[in-house]
Amino acid sequence: MNDPNARAIVTVPEIAVIDEIKDEIEDVRTFYFSFENQEAGRNFRIKSGQFVMCTVFGAGEFAVSLPFSPENDRLHLSVRQVGKVTRALHELRPGDKIGIRGPFGNGFPFEEIKGRNIIYAAGGIGIIPLRSSIVHVLRHRKDFGRIILLYGARSSKDLMYRYMIDEWQKIPGFETHIGIDRAEPGWTGEVGFVHTLIAKASVPAKDTTAFVCGPPVMFNSVIQELLGVGLKEDAIVSTLERHMKCGIGKCQHCAIGRTLVCTDGPVYTYRQIKTLGEQI
Amino acid sequence: MYILPKKESLRMIAALAEDYDLYGPVLQDVSGEPLFDRAMDPADVRLDAAITYNPPKGVLFPQSERILSYRYDRESRKASIRRDDLVRPKALVGLRSCDLNGLLCLDRFFLGQEYVDDVYLDHRKKMFIVANTCVRPFPQCFCVCTDSGPSAREGFDVNLTEAGDDYLFEAGSDKGEALAKRLGLKEAGPDASARKGRIVDASIARFDAEATENKAWISRVVNRITTGFIGNEVWEYVGDQCFECGACAFVCPTCSCFNIEDVASGEGGADRMRSWDSCSFEGYTRMAGDHNPRKPVEDRRNKRFFCKLSYTQSKKYLRPGCVGCGRCARVCPGDIGLPNVVTYIRRETTKAGTR
Amino acid sequence: MSYQTGVCNFCGTGCGHLLKVNDGAVRGVFASPGHPVSRGRLCVRGWHIHELLATGDRITAPLVRKEGRFEPVSYDEAVAQAAERLSRYSGDEIGFLASPRASNEDNFLMARLARDVFHTNNIGLASDQGHGAAADVLLEGAGMPAMLGTLTEIRKAGLILVVGADITRLNPIVGSEIHLAARNGADLVTLSSRRTQIAELSRKHLWLRPGTTKTALAALAKVMIRQGGHDTEFVRNRTEGYEAFVRSLETIDLDGIEAGTGLPLAEIEDLARRLSEARSAMAFFTSGIAGLDHASVALLYDLFLAAGKIGREGCGVNPVTGVCNIVGSYDVGAGARFLPGYRRAGSPDPGQTPRELLAITPTPLKAVVVADRDEEIVRHAAKIKGLECVVYIGAYANAFTDFAHIVLPAATFAEADGTYTNAERRIQLNRRKVDPPPGVLPAWRVYADIAVRRGAARTYASAEDVMADIAASVPAYSAVTYPKLEKGFGLQWPCDAAHPEGTPRLSVEEISGKLKFVPAAADFRAPAASEAFPLLLMAGKANYFWHTNNIMKKTHIPKREYNALLLLYPKGFVEVAAADAAKIGVRDRRPVNVVSAGGSMRVAVRVSADVKPGTVYVPYFIEDMVPGFLNAFGAAVDEDQDSVIPVRIEKV
Repeated sequence: MNDPNARAIVTVPEIAVIDEIKDEIEDVRTFYFSFENQEAGRNFRIKSGQFVMCTVFGAGEFAVSLPFSPENDRLHLSVRQVGKVTRALHELRPGDKIGIRGPFGNGFPFEEIKGRNIIYAAGGIGIIPLRSSIVHVLRHRKDFGRIILLYGARSSKDLMYRYMIDEWQKIPGFETHIGIDRAEPGWTGEVGFVHTLIAKASVPAKDTTAFVCGPPVMFNSVIQELLGVGLKEDAIVSTLERHMKCGIGKCQHCAIGRTLVCTDGPVYTYRQIKTLGEQI
Repeated sequence: MYILPKKESLRMIAALAEDYDLYGPVLQDVSGEPLFDRAMDPADVRLDAAITYNPPKGVLFPQSERILSYRYDRESRKASIRRDDLVRPKALVGLRSCDLNGLLCLDRFFLGQEYVDDVYLDHRKKMFIVANTCVRPFPQCFCVCTDSGPSAREGFDVNLTEAGDDYLFEAGSDKGEALAKRLGLKEAGPDASARKGRIVDASIARFDAEATENKAWISRVVNRITTGFIGNEVWEYVGDQCFECGACAFVCPTCSCFNIEDVASGEGGADRMRSWDSCSFEGYTRMAGDHNPRKPVEDRRNKRFFCKLSYTQSKKYLRPGCVGCGRCARVCPGDIGLPNVVTYIRRETTKAGTR
Repeated sequence: MSYQTGVCNFCGTGCGHLLKVNDGAVRGVFASPGHPVSRGRLCVRGWHIHELLATGDRITAPLVRKEGRFEPVSYDEAVAQAAERLSRYSGDEIGFLASPRASNEDNFLMARLARDVFHTNNIGLASDQGHGAAADVLLEGAGMPAMLGTLTEIRKAGLILVVGADITRLNPIVGSEIHLAARNGADLVTLSSRRTQIAELSRKHLWLRPGTTKTALAALAKVMIRQGGHDTEFVRNRTEGYEAFVRSLETIDLDGIEAGTGLPLAEIEDLARRLSEARSAMAFFTSGIAGLDHASVALLYDLFLAAGKIGREGCGVNPVTGVCNIVGSYDVGAGARFLPGYRRAGSPDPGQTPRELLAITPTPLKAVVVADRDEEIVRHAAKIKGLECVVYIGAYANAFTDFAHIVLPAATFAEADGTYTNAERRIQLNRRKVDPPPGVLPAWRVYADIAVRRGAARTYASAEDVMADIAASVPAYSAVTYPKLEKGFGLQWPCDAAHPEGTPRLSVEEISGKLKFVPAAADFRAPAASEAFPLLLMAGKANYFWHTNNIMKKTHIPKREYNALLLLYPKGFVEVAAADAAKIGVRDRRPVNVVSAGGSMRVAVRVSADVKPGTVYVPYFIEDMVPGFLNAFGAAVDEDQDSVIPVRIEKV
């Protein structure tokens, strides 16, 4: 490893055991895990926004964001089954073993944005990679200004973390706006796409950093809206997804123009995204 | 510098064979084609062979190899992972300058950047490199356009330059010096450097007449590729001719993209296989869930040449990504090897222009 | 030397390759720069053949079904059971389905088994109808029942006409040779109803109305003759049947040709002139499923014959086979109704293929011997399920074994000596490079052992021994020996006493007798759209043939590449032009019903610029489609690229 301060698991996965599995929304499950080797577990320190390569024995490896906070949070992965390997993962039960390599990637800013207002704009399962930062920032909320969550999904059934959001809504200083695309009987939250929540929340433009994560359509509309209210391009941060195989910047499947998402990213500012040299 | 008489070269190779697995240009037994391969007999290494059809990178970065294996028994919940020990002392004898430059690019890429690639490092350890100056070009060569030949300047333990009945034997490292001593080689005279210089110049002078298949004015397009000032019609023209076979990446000395697959080996076990991959392929960037950010073939062609020739690759490799070996032009079913593409870009050749 | 020479086992191009063998296993593959056809190139499949050879998904032990479940048995018992149980059937109760990927030695002995031991001519390949048609026409017309030209002369052709074939996807390296010839000045013209890569690379794409290939070819001939562009001396001195050919063209109405074919008369006249004036010309088309039918091949051949573009350097009418040993299979007598050496299988019963027998309802077939089924479409699944005795012999695990009662493993092409004959009649030898799994034998040995079990006297010590029998039975192979094949890159047949080093192409100087114009029983009526069915549906295969190919599933990268399309349309798709999609009111990937007079099917829409408005296209592999929808049109789709079904498309 070229950076002496980091200790990522690079080539040979560390074996981890699945302690508990929770069903989330449709096709999404959360897998709580711990490392078989205690020392590996102690050394596994992450930054919000990083990811790991998870081995499902017999099926293969896939890249997955780490949703847990760097501090005092249970290790877990929240995964939607969408391909061969993630489907095999969903067949596993508590007690089954998986392999973990990582953590990889640059991570979300934290120290650098202390003192600023923070906006989290998420769509659908895009909130999963942001959860780590949200929990981390909330735990240190005295170090930040306004903390705003704008979260939307197609329907109430598609909202992740309903149980957690209920808790979050009780935290003083945490402004939460939760919306669904179309009205539903019994729904008392917002109705409309995520970018419509920006005006409703009267987000600040100065000294503000926005984290955006969601499907491409939502991403574009949210960015336009944020720029419209005055945020700067380098104050908008997102995490990009790509097909990944090695996670360590060698196989190059994740290359976009000049950058390799697994090592230079996956977190980029909007300004960087515009100059990558290829469409995302 | 030392003198190694040509008739002693077998002795040198045999000496290396005592401590290393030997690799070099070997003639295929049925067809006679030179291929870079393991030589079980030192006499099989042919320093006089033409540029090998396959790139020597296959020794450090094999087409397909197992990097680890694991076993998981779902009933007992026992998992075990075992990494293959890939370290073997290897002597690469007769490496052409272009290929050595390619190897150095792979070194900088695999061993530098954020992480060291353990697998490549294993292959790279304990290696002895004997480079071989090209005293004449082959028809496909254009290393003079990419500053990667005809003689290597660095990265070798020994560099041989054919001079009449001898080789001028340059030691590029302590290991090279030690080999010279071990063989009892006579020191070359004070004019040896100048003599080598004349031989290399003579080789360069022959490119015009003999390296006729490819010419690539690469410097003229690097800026345009980097800044993206190439109309999409040019890439469409190139993309129309792409047969999506992947071969350009397989034969390229600096291409290093790979795929990883876990392949079941029976009884709960699996082998993690690493194999050559190519950004030419549509499936290379396709994500589960079907989003494919680089789907059209013209975008993939654009990406390849951006990767080979733009300034960022130069910064990563400390030199252009192309080493002028000419293999992509030979292996391409579509006639879009790098030299041709460079020409199309310079001339802004498009479909409309040729209909 | 790790790299050992061999021949790729995928398509009919027969590219040379080098298999990297280390520690008794194939670990890699490289292109072979010296091979006269492939000249250092391979396609995505060829570049990953080592992935196929490394698969663990093999049939490794003989199996016999007992009470519904497979039980491993000894080789001897499996052979004994096969021999005994098959002997209960005769006549049309028994059939043999040969694999076009198997070696000449394998297929020769399967044919011997069928004819000498089980006294039946009911043997054929899955891709019969197409190549059989080409073989018939070229045999009758030129006495050479396969490609008349040679792939190594493509660069000498002045004009190249590609009829229908998506050649760069089916046989990429042949497509590459054609493309490179065009870049070096050859005049490349594609005549097809769908836009393909080769069409885009052509100087001219004659975009034909579906179902009108025959009309277009006949019109070309008629125009050329009218222009005086036929080679009068050649026709007079070297051919017979010209007058009858000219008369057969009388029904072609040139004034109405554009309305009929979609091609302006001026373009036909231009092509006819170019064809006549070219110093040499080649025509390429595919045989096999979705290739040209008998009448189309005859018209194409007659056109080139009239133009004097047969039997000369850079010339030829060239069927390109999609699988590595279709030609060889026909040569050694495994093709429908041909004995070894292309003698017609005799009366009273020249035989029917298992496919043809299964198409009869109720089917007389009770037992079938099947080798390494490649294609996934089990058209007659229900009928096959009802057969009493299915014997399957193959190397790779295959869903077809669900239907089998007896399964016997076979060696792969890298595990046994064998010869394979490519599209240009080049017989090439693959030597055994690695050991098969323990106890696994080459397929020819299995057939020989079953034969011996049934009392046959002849035994074979080796594959080379089988080749000696082939050389004695097939005149065009009479001078073939393994040492000769090994010296270079194979030999093109006829390889006999008169041509001991083989015959690259038909040479007019060597033909005793005349070349014949082959009457084309052409039905020039093209199916028309109507108000109820305003769109013309073409069915084809192209590269989609490789998608669901059983062996592709055992690779990684080719499987990934072919899946790149399939996974977007998991239930299949119909290609629709953007204008038509807009009219129907559907977008890409939306489901639709495709309705014809004979049935309907539900698939997704794929908006594509490769089809013209008014025409739509489905790749034939879509499973749901085959039984319900296309079967109603019988063998039409199998046989003929021209088969067209009027349909309408409805939003779901």
